[in-house]
Amino acid sequence: MSPTLAYQFNRLLRGSVPFAITVLLALMSVVPIGIAGYAIVTPSFVAISVFYWSIHRPYLMAPPICFVLGLLSDCLTGAPLGLSSFLYLMIHAIAVSQRRIFIGKAFVLTWFGFFLIGFLIAILSWIIVCLYSLALLPLTPILVQYALSLLVFPLFAWGFGLLQNNLLRLT
Amino acid sequence: MAPRQGKVFKLAWPLKTIIQRSAFLALISLAIALLFIGKANIGVVEKMRTSATDFLAPILATISEPVDAFHKGVARVQKFTSLIEENERLREENARLLKWQAAGRTLEQENENFRQLLNALSDPLVLPITARVVGDAGGPFVRTLLLNSGRRDGVRVGQAVVAPLGLVGRIADVGERSARVLLLTDLNSRIPVVMEKSRHKGILIGDNSSMPLLDFLPTNAKVAPGDRVVTSGDGGMLPAGRPIGFVSSISDRGIRVQAFADWTRLEYVSVLRYDLPGMSSPDMNPGDLGESRLDAK
Repeated sequence: MSPTLAYQFNRLLRGSVPFAITVLLALMSVVPIGIAGYAIVTPSFVAISVFYWSIHRPYLMAPPICFVLGLLSDCLTGAPLGLSSFLYLMIHAIAVSQRRIFIGKAFVLTWFGFFLIGFLIAILSWIIVCLYSLALLPLTPILVQYALSLLVFPLFAWGFGLLQNNLLRLT
Repeated sequence: MAPRQGKVFKLAWPLKTIIQRSAFLALISLAIALLFIGKANIGVVEKMRTSATDFLAPILATISEPVDAFHKGVARVQKFTSLIEENERLREENARLLKWQAAGRTLEQENENFRQLLNALSDPLVLPITARVVGDAGGPFVRTLLLNSGRRDGVRVGQAVVAPLGLVGRIADVGERSARVLLLTDLNSRIPVVMEKSRHKGILIGDNSSMPLLDFLPTNAKVAPGDRVVTSGDGGMLPAGRPIGFVSSISDRGIRVQAFADWTRLEYVSVLRYDLPGMSSPDMNPGDLGESRLDAK
């Protein structure tokens, strides 16, 4: 019995939820909030999303999707084109290779995983941007952004978890 | 049927992983290639980026609308609590400014008379385009803003962007209906400036820190903290004499300038359409040559 068109469409819609929500987060992260210095240290919501979905639904956050999300982020923020794509792909690769450790374990472990990977990515991004612009950039904003991302991670993980349980149980 | 299917699956499985792996590697290489292409400043990448921002700017404008409304609401409530004091303060300020206005008018007239005596050319009129800020950098790597005005509104690459208190930056990329502002704190920002009092010229260099560096001043220039820095107008793209900031610290590692612009409240900015007749080509700054000569009489 082949699934009906409506069922397939439903599945497609549900399957695109992680992508859609990440696009929305990418847009939200550049909306001016009006807090002093916030623009520079805006938590990287997209990285959180890529990390979470790469662990819990890796096939809905496949490498091409990570790549497109990176391009979108770079276009929005004005960062060197390809930088975020590279970083998100790295996050995806690391998360997927280690997902057995995180799946079905306590949330704290996932958080700790983000703590490690986030730090790695922050340093990596700093090195790449320094090389790209051939200048020594201040490291502090990048570390502050990392710390803020780490702080808001549980909130987002909780929200994604709700989505996953309600919308994506079948996919 | 079932065992055969299993066999195919067993065979296909490594193939699938190989394809997946190679796709991943291809995408990583593509990302790195994009970085190199972007560094080489190839037009295609710029075009892609501006068309993307063109598409995204209206969406961002819509999203930022409720955020702006919320801010306005909060500001309104805050103002209510200090209405009387604020009114009193503004009354005093108004009285003081009226005196300044009278002084300013006299000086302007006097200046005009001197100019006519010397037959000096006056600067062309600067026409501002008011644009809404729909996006900020949203990350630690660049200091930029996204505006929802573009080529069709007269915005061109290189034009100055000012906020009520002072210069913010310059236009770096222009799409049809969106533009990207390179803030003067960005790593790639270089702005010709002059010390307001001593008239020493220098270059304001952004380095992604909150306070840009003032460099290339003459060696005999005397600089003290608090000295005002304004645009020099060198290069013909920025109008001269626009306030930028003041010298905040002087050390062995350079002179730092604190900008006047209030970075947290950049809701609307003015893009200055400015051209020195004969200095900029109509292609670079079209549409306003006639208008900016309005005051040339």
